[in-house]
Amino acid sequence: MTAALTGDPAVAPAAPPPTALRRALPLLAAPVAFFVAFFAVPMVVVLSSSLMAGGAPSLANYARVLLDQYHWDVLAVTFRIAALTTLAVTLLGYPLAYYLVRVVSSNALRRSCVILLLLPLFTSNIVRSFGWMILLGRNGLVNDTLVGVGLLERPVRFLGTETGIVIGLVYILLPFIVLAVGNALATVDPTLEEASADLGSSPFTTFWTVTFPLCLPGLIAGVIMVFTLAASAYVTPALLSGGKITVFPMLIFQQYSTVFDVHYGGALSITLLVFTLVLVALAGRIGNGGGNRS
Amino acid sequence: MIARVLLRIVAWAVMTYLVLPLVVIIGASLTATSYLAFPPQGLTLDWYGRMLADTSYVAAFGTSTALALAATAGAVLLALPAALAIARHDFPGKRTLLSLLMSPLVLPHVVLGAALLQYCAALGLMRSFAALLVGHVVIVTPFVLRSVLPQLTPEQRALEEASADLGARPFETFLLVVLPQIRGGLTSGAIFAFISSWINVELSIFNTTAELTTIPVKLFNYVQYTIDPVIAAVSSITIAVAAFTIVLLDLTVGLHVLSKRR
Repeated sequence: MTAALTGDPAVAPAAPPPTALRRALPLLAAPVAFFVAFFAVPMVVVLSSSLMAGGAPSLANYARVLLDQYHWDVLAVTFRIAALTTLAVTLLGYPLAYYLVRVVSSNALRRSCVILLLLPLFTSNIVRSFGWMILLGRNGLVNDTLVGVGLLERPVRFLGTETGIVIGLVYILLPFIVLAVGNALATVDPTLEEASADLGSSPFTTFWTVTFPLCLPGLIAGVIMVFTLAASAYVTPALLSGGKITVFPMLIFQQYSTVFDVHYGGALSITLLVFTLVLVALAGRIGNGGGNRS
Repeated sequence: MIARVLLRIVAWAVMTYLVLPLVVIIGASLTATSYLAFPPQGLTLDWYGRMLADTSYVAAFGTSTALALAATAGAVLLALPAALAIARHDFPGKRTLLSLLMSPLVLPHVVLGAALLQYCAALGLMRSFAALLVGHVVIVTPFVLRSVLPQLTPEQRALEEASADLGARPFETFLLVVLPQIRGGLTSGAIFAFISSWINVELSIFNTTAELTTIPVKLFNYVQYTIDPVIAAVSSITIAVAAFTIVLLDLTVGLHVLSKRR
């Protein structure tokens, strides 16, 4: 999306940069001022608070976060849930995206499915997690069905387990991957796939050598989005954990809402931010490598 | 052939999974029992009546709507000039600026919410509508920017230059040439912005109080202690708002997702 607009000589006027800046400035003043005042500065305030302890600059808050095994355990749980969620979302979302774009021939059916796909996306995390609280309860529909068809002897506990949280998060994040992959798939020219088939490739080979690589950028964008949202999710884990499982965003919330320790809370915030951004950057790098190969 | 059948089965299982919780909530909101039952036992609209009788729910719906509308307006006012500057002028630091404006999309909302709580406390705005609003404007601006930018194409630029050559003032050009071309992107961006603000919990939760609260935050605080059919009724209303918004999107600009016409 930005590739067409940044560094494109067709878009860029030939004027020297200082003039361009002077002409852009009236347009940029308000958005830049707003984002500096209510986005950049608040983030800097968090960073600087996290680097202060007892009124002096110090790394004590980070020591408190990083030298405590408990925080590493919580980070491990958080990123394990995020990774499992991302994996499940990809395995479930990719076939659905492929089905909706390449198999469904009726426009009306596709359109209905798109509406049903957007409906959860446009509904609050609370409401969607609440639905799973009803479904995953001890006597909820899921347990009743599994016991009813004989897959389980007695109801299992979903609420308060990592499985329950993953089920809820997968549900919340699934539409993102379907839209990301589906939109990439829709722009792939079907004649390329036909050419591959004409040259004697099996549908399976065509998929892995033509379709999949061409959709990879969309898949990677979706995966990165899902992973960051899963790692920073607060609401769904809070509702489906039943107080038994702690993920990192809960620690941050506790520090700001009940303890109001902005120094320690700041260090927790920056830690989550750094871990998330590093993992996203890694995923992006792997993704770019894959994109170049294709 | 087997692969195709398998694909069909997986796709429909996933569609069912997507719809099931919403159906369950709507069903449970109609139950005549005092606890949540699905399938509903008996049918009643009592829980909707209880919701309307509770002024705090009505107030929260009001706050959410006002906040989402104001945040969308703010986002449009910020994203539109930013998009024009980015698409039309090649100034130094453009990529950095674009990254800054888009970064709320990947930044954990809990972190931003906490930051704004601390910052607004220092400004004396803690837990106010203004504090909620600035945060919401920050997180929804990228949606408008993202959908307007691709519509400011080079071909479009030629039209703008023609308009200027013919003597139109910049504002006239914007109103008569630019705006009609980007209307689709602007509308869908604004609708996405509205709904993202309307459903937000993770950012709002820091700056809300018992009196000043949005509907998702109110639901969140309630659900953690009690679960009753009133919650299901309130949730059903939010699902209806979501459905209405999607239909609005479809009717105004069309749902150009998963299709080749893009």
